[in-house]
Amino acid sequence: MRQAGIYSGILSGGISGKTGPHSLPLARIKKIMKKSGGGGGDDVKMISGEAPIVFSKACELFIQELTKRSWMLTLQGKRRIVHKEDVASAVIATDVFDFLVTLVSDDADPTINILHHQNGNTS
Amino acid sequence: MDLDGNMKLNIGAEASNSHEEGITKEQDRLLPIANVGRIMKEILPPNAKISKEAKETMQECASEFISFVTSEASDKCRKERRKTVNGNDVCWALGALGLDNLAGPLRRYLHRYREVEGDHGAINSNHQDDHKATNSGAIAKTSFGQ
Repeated sequence: MRQAGIYSGILSGGISGKTGPHSLPLARIKKIMKKSGGGGGDDVKMISGEAPIVFSKACELFIQELTKRSWMLTLQGKRRIVHKEDVASAVIATDVFDFLVTLVSDDADPTINILHHQNGNTS
Repeated sequence: MDLDGNMKLNIGAEASNSHEEGITKEQDRLLPIANVGRIMKEILPPNAKISKEAKETMQECASEFISFVTSEASDKCRKERRKTVNGNDVCWALGALGLDNLAGPLRRYLHRYREVEGDHGAINSNHQDDHKATNSGAIAKTSFGQ
């Protein structure tokens, strides 16, 4: 059985030096990982204890990156509320987020002016 | 709380009622909207607001992100005949998929984690035939806080 005490210390942001609930639930991350089909179609069999923890941080960074880009489009539309169309358009405008294009393509608003050449800008 | 979620998993308290399965599966494949919304809110200016649909879209994107990167990491393990996907594989997959701006900070994060915690190996209790593979490099137990 895992040592819950140590993990909870990690979860509360101890490793990153931040306080406050930045973390994401490891069990849920692990479930999502296990449902990922590999190239051969097999389920992911075994996951080390640290992999969901890495993803907890990776997802945080990913969400932050996509949110920042979405917000730029929100501002372009002279709005203050981020809508799903902003998120969809930010995905389409960013090459490395190509894997999300089909997921969001129904939500994209063609009237939003797409910002190009934003790749590699990590404010 | 995260602890509760983990403890439920450990004591096998996952919902098994068939009539709840539809709802449970939907929740299981997404990260909690409260956590996602909080991360979004914290990176934006105070005057910014986020629609519920935007949070839901972000939930979907985050899950797809996990699946996408895990698939790549899992493929690498399969090719190298390892059964356990570890933190290094995740970092490698991020780089391989062009998400370099995430890979760098994560390697440092993982390194510090290992310094503090050491290597606990696989979560699964199944027979680990490649436990040695997860023990990569020196794991020096230094005091946390550098």
